[in-house]
Amino acid sequence: MAIINQATKELQVKIVYYGPAMGGKTTNLVQVHDHVQTTAGNKGKLVSLATSSDRTLFFDFLPIEAMTIKGFKTKFQLYTVPGQVIYNTTRQLVLRGVDGIVFVADSQYEKMPENVESFQNLVENLNSLKFNLADIPYVLQYNKRDLPNAAPTEYLDYLLNNRDVQVPSFTASAHKCEGVFETLNMITRMLLQKYLNQGTPPHIN
Amino acid sequence: MATLPQLIEEDIQQLDETLRNFNAQTDATTSLIIDKGGFLIAHAGDDQQFDLTTIGALASGAFMANQTIAGLVNEKNFNSIYQQGEKFSMFVINVDEHCLLAVIFQSQSGVGVVKFYADSAVKRIAEQLVRAQARDPQAGLDLSALNATNPQDFFRKKDA
Repeated sequence: MAIINQATKELQVKIVYYGPAMGGKTTNLVQVHDHVQTTAGNKGKLVSLATSSDRTLFFDFLPIEAMTIKGFKTKFQLYTVPGQVIYNTTRQLVLRGVDGIVFVADSQYEKMPENVESFQNLVENLNSLKFNLADIPYVLQYNKRDLPNAAPTEYLDYLLNNRDVQVPSFTASAHKCEGVFETLNMITRMLLQKYLNQGTPPHIN
Repeated sequence: MATLPQLIEEDIQQLDETLRNFNAQTDATTSLIIDKGGFLIAHAGDDQQFDLTTIGALASGAFMANQTIAGLVNEKNFNSIYQQGEKFSMFVINVDEHCLLAVIFQSQSGVGVVKFYADSAVKRIAEQLVRAQARDPQAGLDLSALNATNPQDFFRKKDA
């Protein structure tokens, strides 16, 4: 969970990009890494633990520092999980200590079963870590909107955002960097709002 | 999921002192206390030649992966992992439910002395975390000073 370090005035937050294989999670991080406006030294290296065919094996990791708010440096650690079904143990490891989640869905019609399965897998993995999805800020990103076989967003909402409380959803074409920053800024806002509403973050350094 | 206890400046000072003493005893280059979620909590020693944020994330991932392997071979846990390199080696040992101690040291030093002193360092770190936990498990920091009303200010896209 998020760490606030009073000694160094730092806020550290972990955001995990989750979703089906080949849905665009790593592309989101690559685009953030390539296009984010930061001052020198505030953007870390994008680390990818991937197979030889560029499929995520363990996770991608991007440390990045946003602006200073009221004296606190806000440091974000962005992770992706491997989407392939066989890597479920790895996904559980990466979810440990998560503060916020971006679920990256593939908008193509034929990917709907994988989207639903991956979302259900997210819920199950959170439960195995004694988390409840309802307690964690998350947003949905409907990626690959530029493809001709993209399903209507209403259909994606029906499948993935049909719960008691609807969460923000964003359309995206991550490889063009469309919707990437909108998604990231929204999950950031939700995270900080959660702590503001609680008045107390999980733990403090 | 249970989390780290809330730590105040006094805790951080104690943790820093433990790490500095440990480095002096073992001639370690850098030692780090890492949250198992991947966050760097405290460090001592050389922080210029290594990217400690990324090392923290990867070391915790590697350690947790080994814990899973332990389960698969019917071990309760693998308490530590050791990576030997030509110039530098790394030793990671479990502290408690939430934390790890990672040590980067020159390979010529050998891992024996690191392992030996790590036991007492781990004990002191764990004791400090217990003291922090007992102090006030519900205490928190008022974050109302943070202004999150304008999220667009957090991450801006570079102009094309």
